[in-house]
Amino acid sequence: MNLDWNVVWNNRDALLQGVALTIGLTVATMALAVPGGILLALMRLSSNRFISNASLYFVEFFRNLPLILVIYWAFYVLPIATDIQFSAFTTALVALVLNVSSYNAETFRAGINSIRKGQMEAALAMGMSRRQAMFKVVIPQAARRILPVVASTWISLFKDTSLVSVIAVGELAYTAMQIRAQSFRVLEMLTAMAVLYWLMGYPQAKLVDWIHKKYGVKE
Amino acid sequence: MNATLPTAAPARKGADQPPVLVYENVRKNYGDFVALNDVSLQVNKGEVMCLIGPSGSGKSTLLRCTNALETLNGGRILLDGVPLPTKESEVRKVRQRMGMVFQSFELFPHKSALDNVAMGPITVLGMSEKTARERAMVLLDKVGLASKAGNFPANLSGGQQQRVAIARALAMEPEVMLFDEPTSALDPETVGEVLDIMKKLALEGMTMIVVTHEMSFAQRVANWVVVFESGAILEEGPPAQIFDHPTKARTRDFLGHLGWNG
Repeated sequence: MNLDWNVVWNNRDALLQGVALTIGLTVATMALAVPGGILLALMRLSSNRFISNASLYFVEFFRNLPLILVIYWAFYVLPIATDIQFSAFTTALVALVLNVSSYNAETFRAGINSIRKGQMEAALAMGMSRRQAMFKVVIPQAARRILPVVASTWISLFKDTSLVSVIAVGELAYTAMQIRAQSFRVLEMLTAMAVLYWLMGYPQAKLVDWIHKKYGVKE
Repeated sequence: MNATLPTAAPARKGADQPPVLVYENVRKNYGDFVALNDVSLQVNKGEVMCLIGPSGSGKSTLLRCTNALETLNGGRILLDGVPLPTKESEVRKVRQRMGMVFQSFELFPHKSALDNVAMGPITVLGMSEKTARERAMVLLDKVGLASKAGNFPANLSGGQQQRVAIARALAMEPEVMLFDEPTSALDPETVGEVLDIMKKLALEGMTMIVVTHEMSFAQRVANWVVVFESGAILEEGPPAQIFDHPTKARTRDFLGHLGWNG
């Protein structure tokens, strides 16, 4: 077999730009999906049935659709249905945020519910409002407890950003596929892509393990 | 054997002042279960009141109703003559005037001992962090834990955690302290250190309601003892009466079950 690894090196600038966009997309998605998830989780825990149900339907809708379908839908259907036309990057971001917010909402809800009732009561008993008790006492503890789960979601998201290549967002997967299509170097480009994803993903997983060890709350 | 002279019962402590807390026909149900059935009671200023009785008799429920962690199904509770409010913002004001100590401590595990104590004044009273920490240090010193200020709850013994919890409640400068079985979750060897702090507080004149199974504490420290059974008050009176001359046979039974032969 005739392999030509030069194709990887020769396209390093394009690949690095793809890497940058992959990272940017992951960071931007999480930056929106963490507050989004907290909001959805708090809505779900609300005593108001309407608010609680709205969150439930949202989460169950987006959690149970294939992400790639949401991406296509946001790209093709959303502009027709609503007359809103985003750039490909923004469309990708919207689709990813909808999906990851739903997962985060479930994670945060489980985390909040795992903090025993007495903690909330102790906070209320000293005169805190429910909101203060939630944000000063319950959520900080829940956050430490769910860190490993959020980290897994992060790493899944990091890899799932490759799906937005279907709407021509120039992240790593799209860029690599474009180079492959032009150079016909399938094996080289797929391998390069795998190496790049793995090299970026593995340290993140290790970093999260370390954070968890350092900041996890013992009881 | 010396004959003891009969003496007139001394006036109940704080009887010369208006009561701090008054319970009027308080009722609380959980579904079909009646947790409190028409309970009327008063707590005087500076009084240490111990609530005793079998598990599930309503003592803790009464305490939790006092600072509105539970809502009443009937009757009312007055703090300094004013009925407990129902509006959330006003309930918060009332809770600030009562310190609560829980059986399971409920220290915040993500905060150091010092920050546990400083948190209420910072969050609720808007005190500056510096002032709140200085005051917290004084309170930790008072409960004998100044040297553990930087420890997290996981690195404190049960007794130490409960002493921090008492300091945390005191940080809000409450008028009344509510203790919900404060020593029931402790190892026997650390019970004493918590009871000592509570005794110290009592001597300082703090008004205290204590749900407890520590009969010797109730006998030595309480000014007034209330015996609960099945959500109602079986009997109340000064400790000498309750422990030495209970009027109800069921009080004797209850104390007998605990091995009390006073």
